[in-house]
Amino acid sequence: MTSKSISVLRKIAGPFYVNRRLLGYYWERLQKNKLSIAGLGFILFLAIVGIFGPLFTQDPTKADLEVPNMPPPGFTRQESIYNIKTNDFTNRTIEGGLTHPLGTDSKGRDMLAMLVSGARISLFVGLLATGIAVFLGTFIGVLSAYLGGWVDNALMRFTDIMMTFPFFLLLVLIVFIFGSSLAIIVLVIGLTGWTGAARLIRSEALSLRTRDFITASKALGASDTRIMFNHLIPNVISLVIVMASLSIPGVIMAEAALSFIGLGDPTSTSWGTILNAGQHSLETAWWVAVEPGIMLFLTVLAFNFFGDGLRDAFDPKASI
Amino acid sequence: MRNYIIKRLFYSVIIAWGILTVTFVLLRIGPTSPVDRYILNIAAKGQNVESVKQAIEARYGLDKPLIEQYFTYLGNLLQGNWGWSFSTSMPVLELIGSHWIYSFQLILLATIFAIVLGISIGMLSAVKQNTKFDYAASIFSFIGISIPGFWLGLMLILVFAVQLGIFKTYYDTNYPIWSLENLKQLILPVMALGIGELAGYVRYTRSAMLDNLRKEFVTTARAKGLSERTVIGKHVFRNAILPLVTIIMFDLGSIVFGGAYLTEIVFGIPGLGQVSFNAIFANDYAVVVAITLIGTFLVLLLNLGTDVVYTYLDPRIRYD
Repeated sequence: MTSKSISVLRKIAGPFYVNRRLLGYYWERLQKNKLSIAGLGFILFLAIVGIFGPLFTQDPTKADLEVPNMPPPGFTRQESIYNIKTNDFTNRTIEGGLTHPLGTDSKGRDMLAMLVSGARISLFVGLLATGIAVFLGTFIGVLSAYLGGWVDNALMRFTDIMMTFPFFLLLVLIVFIFGSSLAIIVLVIGLTGWTGAARLIRSEALSLRTRDFITASKALGASDTRIMFNHLIPNVISLVIVMASLSIPGVIMAEAALSFIGLGDPTSTSWGTILNAGQHSLETAWWVAVEPGIMLFLTVLAFNFFGDGLRDAFDPKASI
Repeated sequence: MRNYIIKRLFYSVIIAWGILTVTFVLLRIGPTSPVDRYILNIAAKGQNVESVKQAIEARYGLDKPLIEQYFTYLGNLLQGNWGWSFSTSMPVLELIGSHWIYSFQLILLATIFAIVLGISIGMLSAVKQNTKFDYAASIFSFIGISIPGFWLGLMLILVFAVQLGIFKTYYDTNYPIWSLENLKQLILPVMALGIGELAGYVRYTRSAMLDNLRKEFVTTARAKGLSERTVIGKHVFRNAILPLVTIIMFDLGSIVFGGAYLTEIVFGIPGLGQVSFNAIFANDYAVVVAITLIGTFLVLLLNLGTDVVYTYLDPRIRYD
């Protein structure tokens, strides 16, 4: 079974696996787009930070009420404390220090550690949920295009209904009802996010289906599954990759928005969770709301740049 | 054409009904009950919780099997009875009636803001291709697409309300809807909600204009001696802008169910997004189902409207 699935995987990724020269060609085209390379660089950086970062940072969940709302080094914060004995306010200035290079939040948790933990969550959710969605989308799209007839009709009507469903509301509802765990968030986004991919892949596969090489393999006696897995899917794989890289930002934003409104996984610190806390301390500690947002923005930007570059690199008609 | 509209309306009703069913079932199988809110008060007074709970559930028919509740709800809905909101103690229709205007004004203004500015900047950008303005617009649109709307909202509050003190940090419902003060306090929410769409429209308009500028009818128009103003403003613009109608309609769906929802929460605007958000947490199922249903139906009708208007805008399109 495993050897069979590996061989199927190999065939699907075939054009890249077998043909190193093709891969080199795409890489060369991609490199001409500097923004795209910068995006890729940032994504790799984020991945390394997400994987190895937690080994070096402090515990992101450890509250330290000695140093609440400590600003990053170089910034200061004024604080008035009511003194019950003298019945007046004493002002004191809190300065940032190197023990917390990005400051702390209202519970004294280290911002750097929380951001690193957030990078891990964002990438995990983004990649896994997109993986599920794109896998489903490709499968449904190819199946629909290749089989045609009532299968195509039924699948596409189902896709239409799924597309009309208010996605974010569904996400909020399901997470509220079945509990906020990362697994549920990933599953819900993955199982509802395939519609766009399915439509795009279907239209691509529809045009491929009428090509001569498909007719030729049919004439040679290839089975339906063989044509789908050996001929159709490998030919839409570049489209799938572009789709995936361009839909990751939406997934990351959805997870952040969900955590932001208080429905994130309570056992893990994600950027949205920090933003939720930062929203309430805008006046005292601006950095708590600013820092995770910048990370979120840069990550989404990086994926957008990278996806755009990939699309151009894979498109033979694009002049680079 | 008439048959087409009837068919689409029929589809819309089916889809809306499906969404109603899913939302209803999801909410009613949830772990919390709308009664919980009453129970809290009862328990605080030290009375017998179980008997009170049973009495309330019996009164509102919540103890009956799910399927019976569903058909009762559906029957009431068909008779124009939208149910009772447990968490706010008023009829659902009244609740929606007093809150819809806040969502409507926000969505309307944000859409106008995005369309007008987006198309203008996109057009200028295409006409002045490869100038500084064009580059600035490109960078701006990339940033606008990648920035999470709710974080942008937070940052706008931080800069313009907290630091500069130009705006209030919260939405004040004491101002009448038709007043300058109300318009002023909508500036930040409209920007937070609209900038993502705006950036998308800039990118779309620019590339569509550039595509059309290369077409032969433009050469013909210029050869006829038409002024550049007429060529760009009439021939190119009208052809480029047509597909934008679909994109705007598609965005409207995501604004209604995603962006506006979060923007209302960030700025504390008491619109339907905020109402349904609170209702989800209180398991006030009638409110959630009603708002979802209205939103979905509006989006579906708008989509149908677009498709119909399209046949007038573009005589090449015909539905049978």
